[in-house]
Amino acid sequence: MPRIKKKGQAGAAKNYVTRNQAIRKLQITLPDFRKLCIWKGIYPREPRSKKKVSKSSTNSTTFYYAKDIQYLLHEPLLQKFRDQKSLEKKISKALGRGDVTDAARLEGNAARPEKTGKPRYTLDHVIRERYPTFIDALRDLDDCLSMLFLFANLPSTSSVPAKMIARCERLTLEFQHYLIASHSLTKSFLSIKGIYYQANIKGEDVLWLVPYKFNQRIVGDVDFRIMGTFVEFYMTLLSFVNFKLYTSLGLKYPPKFDQLKDENAAELGAFTLEGLTLVNEEQQKQIEDHKPDPKVQAAVNKVLKQIDSKAANGDDADDTVEVEGEEGNDTIDKFEPAAPGGDVLPQPSNIGGSQGSLFSNCTFYLSRETPRQPLEFILKAFGCKRVGWDAVLGDGAFTTNELDPAITHQIVDRPPVQNAVEAETEGDDNQTSQKLGANRRVPGRVYLQPQWVWDSVNDGELKEPHLYAPGTSLPPHLSPFVKAMPGAYDPTMPLEDQEPEREALEAEDDDEEVTAEGMDIAEDDDAEDDDAENDDFEGVSEDEEEEADGSDDEDAERQRELEAELAGSSVKSKSISKKAKAKEDKLKALSKKSRDDAEELERAKGMLSKKKRKLYEQMIYTNTKKNAADEKLRAKRRRLEKEGKRAKA
Amino acid sequence: MAPPRLAKKRKDVAESDESDDGLAGTALEGVLSDDEDNDSGSESDPNSEDFNDPDDDDIGKDFDATSVSSADDDESKPNYKVVKDANGNERYEYAEIDPVYDSDDSDANEKGNTIGNIPLSFYDSYPHIGYDINGKKIMRPATGDALDALLETIEIPKGWTGLTDPQTGKPLELTREQLELLRRLQTSQIPEENYDPYPDLIPYFTSIEEKMPLSSAPEPKRRFLPSKHEAKRIAKLVRAIKEGRILPYKPPEEREREKGEEEEVHYDIWANEEAQERHIMHIAAPKLAPPGYDLSYNPPPEYLPTQEEKEAWEKMDPEEREKEYLPAKFDALRKVPGYGEFVKERFERSLDLYLAPRVRKNRLNIDPNSLLPKLPSPEELKPFPTVCQAIFKGHEGRVRTVSFSPDGEWIASGGDDGTVRVWSLNGHQEWVARISTEEPVQVVRWRPNKDTFILAAVAGEDLFFAVPPLVSDALEKASRDVIDLGFGHATNGAVPMTADGAKKEPPAKWSRPGSKLEAAGVLLKATVRASIKTLSWHRRGDFLCTVSPTGQRSSVAIHTLSKHLSQIPFRRLPGLAQAAHFHPSRPYFFVATQRMIRCYDLQRQELVKILQPGARWISGFDVHPGGDNLIVGSYDRRLLWHDLDLSTRPYKTMRFHTEAVRAVRYHRALPLFADASDDGSLQIFHGKVVSDLMENATIVPVKMLKGHKIVSKLGVLDVDWHPRHPWCISAGADGTCRLWA
Repeated sequence: MPRIKKKGQAGAAKNYVTRNQAIRKLQITLPDFRKLCIWKGIYPREPRSKKKVSKSSTNSTTFYYAKDIQYLLHEPLLQKFRDQKSLEKKISKALGRGDVTDAARLEGNAARPEKTGKPRYTLDHVIRERYPTFIDALRDLDDCLSMLFLFANLPSTSSVPAKMIARCERLTLEFQHYLIASHSLTKSFLSIKGIYYQANIKGEDVLWLVPYKFNQRIVGDVDFRIMGTFVEFYMTLLSFVNFKLYTSLGLKYPPKFDQLKDENAAELGAFTLEGLTLVNEEQQKQIEDHKPDPKVQAAVNKVLKQIDSKAANGDDADDTVEVEGEEGNDTIDKFEPAAPGGDVLPQPSNIGGSQGSLFSNCTFYLSRETPRQPLEFILKAFGCKRVGWDAVLGDGAFTTNELDPAITHQIVDRPPVQNAVEAETEGDDNQTSQKLGANRRVPGRVYLQPQWVWDSVNDGELKEPHLYAPGTSLPPHLSPFVKAMPGAYDPTMPLEDQEPEREALEAEDDDEEVTAEGMDIAEDDDAEDDDAENDDFEGVSEDEEEEADGSDDEDAERQRELEAELAGSSVKSKSISKKAKAKEDKLKALSKKSRDDAEELERAKGMLSKKKRKLYEQMIYTNTKKNAADEKLRAKRRRLEKEGKRAKA
Repeated sequence: MAPPRLAKKRKDVAESDESDDGLAGTALEGVLSDDEDNDSGSESDPNSEDFNDPDDDDIGKDFDATSVSSADDDESKPNYKVVKDANGNERYEYAEIDPVYDSDDSDANEKGNTIGNIPLSFYDSYPHIGYDINGKKIMRPATGDALDALLETIEIPKGWTGLTDPQTGKPLELTREQLELLRRLQTSQIPEENYDPYPDLIPYFTSIEEKMPLSSAPEPKRRFLPSKHEAKRIAKLVRAIKEGRILPYKPPEEREREKGEEEEVHYDIWANEEAQERHIMHIAAPKLAPPGYDLSYNPPPEYLPTQEEKEAWEKMDPEEREKEYLPAKFDALRKVPGYGEFVKERFERSLDLYLAPRVRKNRLNIDPNSLLPKLPSPEELKPFPTVCQAIFKGHEGRVRTVSFSPDGEWIASGGDDGTVRVWSLNGHQEWVARISTEEPVQVVRWRPNKDTFILAAVAGEDLFFAVPPLVSDALEKASRDVIDLGFGHATNGAVPMTADGAKKEPPAKWSRPGSKLEAAGVLLKATVRASIKTLSWHRRGDFLCTVSPTGQRSSVAIHTLSKHLSQIPFRRLPGLAQAAHFHPSRPYFFVATQRMIRCYDLQRQELVKILQPGARWISGFDVHPGGDNLIVGSYDRRLLWHDLDLSTRPYKTMRFHTEAVRAVRYHRALPLFADASDDGSLQIFHGKVVSDLMENATIVPVKMLKGHKIVSKLGVLDVDWHPRHPWCISAGADGTCRLWA
C-alpha cells in the first residue's frame, strides 16, 4: 500500500507562499521586502485555486511563488538591509542613552541616500541577473524611460533628493544624445498626456512618454518612496544601457558635461560627445563659422528688405518645389501580391538612412513660444544639424539671431496679428534689436506650426508646408502607433471605403429623407419589414411575398403613369420614387439576408456544447462592442461631413 | 550659632514694629533707610543673610540680654493689652511670643517674608510687600521719588547693582569681590583666583634613587630582544595601510566632499552576455498599450466626445470609467495644458509592476464563427416539412392529441371538448364521436396495423376502441372482429384473477360503451383505476400500454386487446411514471419516470438499462424505429438524444426552445424527428442513424415551424408524423391542428 498523502504537503500548497510568510522567512521588514521585490522583479502570482494554496483559515490575497522567495534568500542586498537595520538600532540606542557623540559617529557611518542621493549598495548585480542580455534590457526600457523622463521634470522631495533628479536629467539627456547620434528615433506623437517617442534600438521598439514642461500636479495618494525605489533601479539600468549604447557607436561614455552651459539651460547642448570622428567636428566648425559680421548683416538685411514685398509668395512656391524634388528619392518598392493565397510579409519600411536625414538640409529657427526641448531633440534626431532659437529659450542654440539668412524653416506657434501697418513702421529698429514685428516675415524661409515636424517625421517625408502655415487650422494629428485592423475604423480612409453596405444604404436613406419627403419612406419601410417578419412566422415563403409586393408596386406605378398621361403632366416624381424603390429593395434584400443568417446562426448555436456556447457568446459580446464603437465613430463622421457640406453650400 | 540668629529675629521684629507705627511717614523712612545703607554700604548689608558682620552679632547680644529679662516678667503679668478698637469695643492685643528655647531650626526663614515664591509685583498696589513669620505685614521699604532717582543717578553708591532683592524688596547691593566671583562663575573659571589646577608633578618616587634593588631576579632576556608581538601588530598595520584600509585622517567635511565627487564606475555589464532561458513560471510585465487616435492633441473631429458623452463621463465614478481621459482638441500646441494625472498614472503603473499578480491568459484570437459546427445546408437534407399545408379547425378548446392512421389517409385528433375527430388530409372533418362529457380526450392512437382500422382513445380513466365507419366494409369487418375477439376470453382472463386474491379487483374492466356510442362506431371500453395520460401500441397491435401517473402501483398497465385482459407489470416504480413505449423490434419495454427512463426485458422479466437524460422532468420520449436511439423531451426546455449503445447519459442535448418541450416524435421511415414546445413552435431535425456501429448519429436542426398561437402559456401539445411522407401534424392549444409539408 502506498503512503497516504497528507494535505498541504505537495503541489500548489508547496509552490506558493503568502506575503507574510515570505517576509517572515526573509526576516526583513515590509518596506525592505517591497524594495527587494521591485529591484529583483518579483511579483505576486494568482494560483489556480486559492483554496488549495492557503493554509490558514483567513483568505490571503497575495501569493508569491515559493521559488522566487527562495531566490531572494540568496540576495546580497539582504545583508545590506540587515546591516543598515542594525546600524539604525545602534544609533537609536545611543540617542536613548543620551550619548550624542556616539550617535553622531554612527550617523557618519550610515548611508543616507535621501540626502546624498547615493546608497551604500549598488544594484549592478541585480541588473545583470534580471537582464542576462542587452536585448532583454532594451525590451524592458519603456517604463524605465517614462519614469526617468518624468522625474527629470519633477521637483525634489524628501524621498527623491535633488541629486537623484539631477542624475535622472543627465541620464535622459545622454540617452537623447545617443538617439540623435544613431538616428534611431522612429516616431513621435503629440498627445494630450505628453509626447510619445518611439525608437528602434537594435531591432527593439522602445516607446516612452515625456510630459510637457509644466509643473506636475501631485495627487495626495502617490507614494514617492515606491517611485523612488523604482527610479533608483531605473537609473542604474539606464546608465548601463547608455554606456553600452555609447560604446557601440564608438563614443566615450560619459560624454563631456559643461556645468556652465547646463546652468544656462542648454540641456542637450551642455554635453559634448567625444570619440566620434567627423560629425561633431564638422558641426562645431559650422557653428564657429557662423558668426556674421554686422556689416554683411546690414547689407543683407537691406537687400532682404527690398525684396521683401515682392517675393513673399514666390519663395514659398520655390520651397515646395524643392521639397517635391526630395520626395522623389525616397520612394520604396512595394511588394504587392500578384495572386492571392500567399502569406503576407511585412513591407520594407523606410527606417534607416533616409529617415535619419529627413531634416538634414534644413536650418530651423524656433520662436520663443514653441516648446524648445522636444523640438530640438526631434529635429536633431532626424538629421537637422542647425537648430536656432530665441535667446530666452536657453543656451546652446545654433543661432539666436532670427534674421540669420541660413534659416530655411521657422517654427511658429502664435496666431498671425492683423495690424500689418504697424509692423511696417517698426521695421527700422528691427535691425538693431534683431527682432521682427508681430506680423513680419523674413523672406526665403518657410513658417510652420510645430505639428508639421511631427507629421513629417511620422510620415517619413516633409509634409506640404501650406497646410501647416501659421494661422491655418491644422489637419488632424494622427497617432502613428495604431495598426490598421481589417474592419476597424480608420480615420485616414474615406468613409465610403469602410462602411458596411447596410450602413451606407441607411445613410443614403437619411439623406433622402432630409432632401425629399421626410420620414414617409422610412415608415413605409418599417411597416413592410414588420409584415415580412409576420409572414415568416406563418411560414409562407418569403419569396412569394416579395414577388407579390413587387407586382403590387408595379401596378401602382402603372396606374400613376396612366394618371399622369391623362393629366398631361410629365412623370417627374417617378424617377425619384424609382430610385428610392431600388434602394428600398436593396435594403429589404439586406434585411432578409441578415434574417436568414440569424436563423442559420441560431441553428448552429443550439448544437454547441455549453462551454463552447459561453465562449462564443463572450467573443460575440466583445466583437459587437468594438463594432458599436466603430459604428458610432462612423456615424459621427458622417454627420460632420454632412454638416461640412451643408456649410459649404 | 543659635544666639546670633535669635538676636537677628528679634531685631527684625523690632524693625517691623517700628514701620508699623510710622505708616504715614514711609517716604521719610525710605530716606532714612537709604542713609543707613550709605553708612553701612562699605562694609556689608545688615539685612543680608550671607554676610553677618561681627558688629551685628554684638548688637544682637545686647538685645538678647534685655529680652531674657522681659521674658521673666511675663509670668506674672498678663501678656496682652486691652485696647479699644474702631467701634469702641475692647480688643485684646497680645504681646509678641518669645520662644525662649534654643531653636536649631535652620529651615525657619529668619528673614521673615513668608509669601513664598511669588513675584513681588503682586503687592504693587499694597503698602506692604508680604508678611513675616508672625503674620505681621512687612511694609514696603521706601522708594525714592523722581528727585531721589535723579540723585541716585548722580552718585552711584558703591556696590549698586540696580537690582532689587526679591526677598526684601530693597535694592540689592554686591561688593566688588562678590561681583568678581560671579563673573568667574559665569565664565566657568575656577572661583578661587589664584588656585592652580595643574601644579607641577613632583616625582616622589623617581626622584629618589633607591639604594637597593626591589627584586634580586636577573633582567629577563626579553628586555633585550625586539618584541615579536609588536612586530606582528606593526606588520598588520603596515598591511592595512598598504591595502588602503587605514587612511590618513581627514576632517569629516573634506571626506564628505570627496565622497560626493566620486565618479560613478561605468563598465559594460553585458560584456560577456549569454542568453538564459527564463523560468517557465516567469511572466514578463505587459507593456502599456500605445496611444490611439483619440489621445492626440488634435484628433479627428469624430473622436471628440459630444456634450452628453462628456457629462456622462464626468458623472461616472473615476474607477468605472472606460478611459481615464476625455479626448480634447487644441488648435495650437501652445494651448495644450499639462496632464494632471501624469504622476498618478505613472505611480499606478509602478504599483501594477510590483503588486499586481500576473496571470497568463490565453486569448483566443479566432473568428467566433469558427466555433460553430459546420452544419450541412438544410437544402441538402430535404425532404422535410417547411410550410403549413392545412389547418384543421373544429375542436372547441385545446387539441390535446393528434395521430396519423397507419395508411396515412386519415388524421385522428382529440381535445378538451371530449370529442374524437377523424379528418381527411385536405382538412375536412369526416367523423366525430363524443366519448366523454367532462373529461378531455388525452390521447388518440391508431392501431399500427394496416389490415384493421382501429382507433384507441383515452378520456379520463376510460380507454375506448373505435372503428370509424370510413373505410371499406371488409376492413371494417376485420376491425370489429379484432375488437370482439376478446369477449370470449374476458371471463377466462378474469377467473384466475379472482382465484388469486380471493376478492381482488381486476386492473381494468372491459365492457361495451353503450348503445349510443356503439352506433357511432365506438365498440369497446376498458376502465382502469386512475386517469390515463399516455397510450402506446405494440407494433403488432395486440398489446398496448397506458400510463396513468396518479395511479401509484397501477400507474403502468399493459392491455391485451385480443383477450380483453389488463395486467400491471410493476409492483412499484421509483418516481411518477410519465410515459411508456414498447421497443419496436425486441421484447423490451421502456418506462419514463420523472428523471429516468428504465428499460425492461419483458420475456426475462428483468431490468436491462437505466437511462439518465439529466432532465428535471421528462415530458415524453420516443423510440427510434431502429430501436437503438431514443429522444427525450423535458419540461426544462431540452431535447435529448440517447444512444442506447453509448452511455446512459445523453449523446446530444439540444436547447432551441424558450419554453417546455411537450412532445417528441420520430418519423417511422425517414431520418426525421420533431418536437413540440410551449413556445408555439415545432422543430424539425434531421437525425440520421447509421447501422454501422463505428459511426454516431448525425443530428442537424433543419427547420423551425411557427404558426400555433400561444393560449394561456400553452403552445403546441402534440405532434405526429405521416407514416411515409415527410409530413407532420401538430395539435395546438389554440384549438387547431396544422398539417406541415
